[in-house]
Amino acid sequence: MSGEDCESLDKGDSDGQKPDKMFTLKKWNAVAMWSWDVECDTCAICRVQVMDACLRCQGESKKDSYGKQDCVVVWGECNHSFHFCCMSLWVKQNNRCPLCQQEWSIQRMGK
Amino acid sequence: MQVMSLKPRNVDFQEMWASLKETVAGVVALQAVERGVWNTRFSDVYALCVAHPEPLADRLYDETRNFLEEHVGGLLQRVQRSAPLESSDYNDGLLSRYVSAWHEYSQGVAYLNSLYSYLNLQHVKRQKVSDAEIIYGSSATVSCPEHDSRQLEVGELGLVTWERVLVRPLATALSSRLVAALNAARDSSPDPSTADTLRSAIHSTVHVQAFRVRAPLSLYVELVLEPFLAAASAHHSRRAAHLLAEGDVSHFMKYVLDGLERELSLARRFLHSSSIEAVRACYEQACVEAHLPALHADIERLLKEASAGSIERQDDLRRMYALLKPLGANAMRPLVDAAHQQAVRDGIALLDAEHPKDEAHSHFVQAMLSLHHKYSELFSDVFGGAQPFVGALDKACSAVVNRRWSGESCARAPELVARYCDALLRRRAADAEADDKLAAAIVVFKYVDDKDVFQKHYARALARRLIHQLSASMEQEEAMINRLKAACGYEFTNKLHRMFTDVAVSADLNAKFQQHLRDNNLTTNSGFFIQVLQAGAWPLGGAMAPLAPPAQLERPARLFEAFYRASFSGRRLAWLHHLCTGELRTKYTQRMYHLSGTTPQCALLLMFENADVVSAREARETLQVSEEAWSRHVKPLLDAGLLTAKGDLRLESPENDEGELALNLSFTCKRTRIKLTCAAAPPNQGTGTNSGTSSGETAHCDDDRKMYLQAALVRIMKQRKVLRHTELIQEVVSQARGSFAPSVAMIKKCIEALIDKQYLERAPGTLDTYSYLA
Ligand SMILES: [Zn+2]
Ligand SMILES: [Zn+2]
Ligand SMILES: [Zn+2]
Repeated sequence: MSGEDCESLDKGDSDGQKPDKMFTLKKWNAVAMWSWDVECDTCAICRVQVMDACLRCQGESKKDSYGKQDCVVVWGECNHSFHFCCMSLWVKQNNRCPLCQQEWSIQRMGK
Repeated sequence: MQVMSLKPRNVDFQEMWASLKETVAGVVALQAVERGVWNTRFSDVYALCVAHPEPLADRLYDETRNFLEEHVGGLLQRVQRSAPLESSDYNDGLLSRYVSAWHEYSQGVAYLNSLYSYLNLQHVKRQKVSDAEIIYGSSATVSCPEHDSRQLEVGELGLVTWERVLVRPLATALSSRLVAALNAARDSSPDPSTADTLRSAIHSTVHVQAFRVRAPLSLYVELVLEPFLAAASAHHSRRAAHLLAEGDVSHFMKYVLDGLERELSLARRFLHSSSIEAVRACYEQACVEAHLPALHADIERLLKEASAGSIERQDDLRRMYALLKPLGANAMRPLVDAAHQQAVRDGIALLDAEHPKDEAHSHFVQAMLSLHHKYSELFSDVFGGAQPFVGALDKACSAVVNRRWSGESCARAPELVARYCDALLRRRAADAEADDKLAAAIVVFKYVDDKDVFQKHYARALARRLIHQLSASMEQEEAMINRLKAACGYEFTNKLHRMFTDVAVSADLNAKFQQHLRDNNLTTNSGFFIQVLQAGAWPLGGAMAPLAPPAQLERPARLFEAFYRASFSGRRLAWLHHLCTGELRTKYTQRMYHLSGTTPQCALLLMFENADVVSAREARETLQVSEEAWSRHVKPLLDAGLLTAKGDLRLESPENDEGELALNLSFTCKRTRIKLTCAAAPPNQGTGTNSGTSSGETAHCDDDRKMYLQAALVRIMKQRKVLRHTELIQEVVSQARGSFAPSVAMIKKCIEALIDKQYLERAPGTLDTYSYLA
C-alpha cells in the first residue's frame, strides 16, 4: 500500500519512537479588528460612532471614492475623544471640551 | 400722358354689352375665342368701367350676373333632364352630366374672371372680411361677402351662382347618389371612370366654396360628409353585430381591423383629406367602442393562452391593442390591468413550483428572471413595448418579488437574492457564466423593496468570503459592489467598499510586517497571515471571543501587536479568534494528517503537546474560551475522532464538567486533509433562536435607517439652508427610495434628533420651516 511508503517517509522526519512534538503549526490565518482607543464609541458632538465618518463627512462623501475617509479621531488632554471634524467646528464656538468643560488642548491625533 | 384708347369716353352700353355678352357666353361654354376678340373685349370691360360721364361698371356687373344666372339655369336643365330627385340611383347619368357641366363651367368661369380683371381689381368693393376681423369680431357691420354679390369677383360670382341656381335644387339628388356610390365603392372598387366621376363630384362641393373665409367646407359637409357618416355608422353597426354573431372575438377583431383599413383607404381615395379622422372615429365608435364589453370579456383568456405560447392568441392581443389604443386610457385599462394580473399569477406559480430546499435562492432569482424575460418579450412583441405595459410588468415583478409567504412577517427576497450572489461569488462555484448571472441578478435586485435588508445579508456573506478567502475573484467582487453602487448609490455600498479596502490594506500590512521581522532578525515559526479589519464596517456581531492562546500562537500575535502599535496611533487591536483558522500537522500518527480548524480548536489540540489527557474544565479555563462557545469548538474534534471523551463529559454545561479529554493516539482516517467545522455563532447573541429574520434584526435595521435618514437630512439642509417641512420630507423620501421606504413618523423623529443636536433649528417665527445651522 502506498500508505505504508508515506508512513515510513513521515516517520523519518521525527526521530525515535515517541516524537518530541505531537503537532507542527503550519499556518495561522489570524483575524483582528482595530478601533480607535476611545472611552466612548460615540462622538458626543454628532452622535455617530467614531469608527464611522462624522455626519457631515457622510453627507459630503456621496461622490468620494471609497478609499480611506480622512475623518479621524482626536483626543484631548482630558482623554475625551471626538471626530476631528466635529471638534474643529466646536472649538470655534467654545474652546472647552463638551464633556468635561476643561479647556481643550489636543493630546494626540488618530492615525 | 395716357394712351388714347385708355382715355375715358362716352360709350353706348347696350351696343358694347351685346358684343361682350356674346364673347362671355363663348368663354363660359369653353368655346374657342380668338386672341384679337379677347383683347378687344378686355378693353371693353375697361371702357365700361371708366365710361364718361357716368362709369358703367355697376350695370356691367348686374348684366353679367343676370347672364350667369340664366346660363346656369340652362345647365341645370341639361344636368337634371328627367332624372327623379328622390332617387339614389348613382348610375342614372345625373352624376356624370353634373360632373361634365361642372368641369366646363368651373373652367369657363375662371377664364371669365381674367376677362373681367379690370372690373375685379378696380371696381369690386374689396370688403372681404379678413381672418383677423372674423376672429376679433369687428366684422359685425360688414355683411358676409357671399351674401352681397357686389363684393365678389366675377369668378366668385360665377361659383356662388352655380351653388345657388344649380346645386341647391339638386342637393338631395346629388347627396343621395354620392352616398349610395360611396357605399357601393366600399364593397367593390368602382371602374376608373365611375371613380373619377364620383371623386370630381365630391370635390366640386369643396371647390365651389374654396374662396370663402368662413366655413369653406360647409357645402361638402352638408352634402357629402354628414350623410356619408350617418350611413357608414349604420352600416358598421350592422356589420359589427353580424361579425360577433357569426364567430368569436378573434374572428371579430380580425375582420374589424381589415374593415378599418378598407374604410380609411375609401376615405383617402374619395373624401377631402380633413375627413380621415372623422371617418376613423365613426368606424371605431360603431365597431369597437359599442362592443367594448365583448372585447374586454375575453382579455384574460387571451393573455393566459398567449403567455402559454399560443401564436394565434398573441396575434389576437396585437389586434386587441391596435383596436383599443386609439380609444384612450379608459378603454385600455382592462387590458393593462389584466396584463399585470397575468404576470403576477404566472410569477407566483413559477415561485411556488417544486424545487430543492437548499436551492431556494437560485430558484427564486431564476424564476424571477424568467418571468421578467418572458413578459418583457411578450409585451414588447405584442404591445410594441408601450409604456403602460412596461409599467404593468414592473408593478407585477415588484409585487411578486416582495410577496410575503403566508405566516411570514417580511419578504424573503432580500435574503434569497443575497444568497444567490454569495453562491456565485464563491470560489468553488467556478461558474463560467457567473459574471452574466450576477449582472442579471441586478434586474431582480432592483425590484426588492427592502434593499437595506438585502445589504445586511450581502455584507455578512461578503465578510465570510473575504475573511475565509472564499471569493472566486476580487475583480468579480468589486464589479458586483460597483453594480450595486450604480443601482443604489454611494451610501448603500459604503460599508462594502470599506470591507473590500481592508483586505487590500491587510495584504500590504502583512508584507510590511514580514519585512519588519526580517529587519529585526525575528522569526515566527509558522505561516502567519493576518487580516486587520476596521470596526463598524464588518457585520461580525458584538462579542469578541476571548482566548488565551498557547505559546506557538502567542508569539506571532505579540510581535504583530508591537509592530502595529508602532505603525499607527490611537488604535486598539482585538483578536477575533473565532474567525481565525490554523493548520496543524500530526506527528504522532502513522500517517501524517493536515488538520485545519479555528484557533480555539488548534489551541486545544496544542495542549496535548505535554499531556495525553486533560480535564475539560481546566482546558477551558486555561484557554479562556467562553462557556457559550466551548461546545461549538470541541464537539467537531470529538466527532472527527481526534479526541475522545473520558468520564462524565458535559460540553453543554462546562462549569460542572468533571469529564476529561484524551488525544486519540491511534487516530486514522481515509482522507489526509481534515477540515474541522465549527457552527457559526448565533448573530448578535440576541434571542438565540436561529431564524434569519428575527425581531432583533429588524430593530438593527431600524437604527441603520435612522442613521441614513439623518445623514440625508443634513445633506439636504446643508445645500438648501432653509426648507419647509413638507418639502424636506419629500426630498428625504425620494433620496431614501433607493434602499427602503421610510415612514414619515421616522423622518420626523430624525428631524427632532437633529434639532436636539443643533444641526437644524425651526426658523424663527415659523412652525413648519427649518434652517440649517453651520
Ligand atoms: Zn462627530
Ligand atoms: Zn468628519
Ligand atoms: Zn473632556
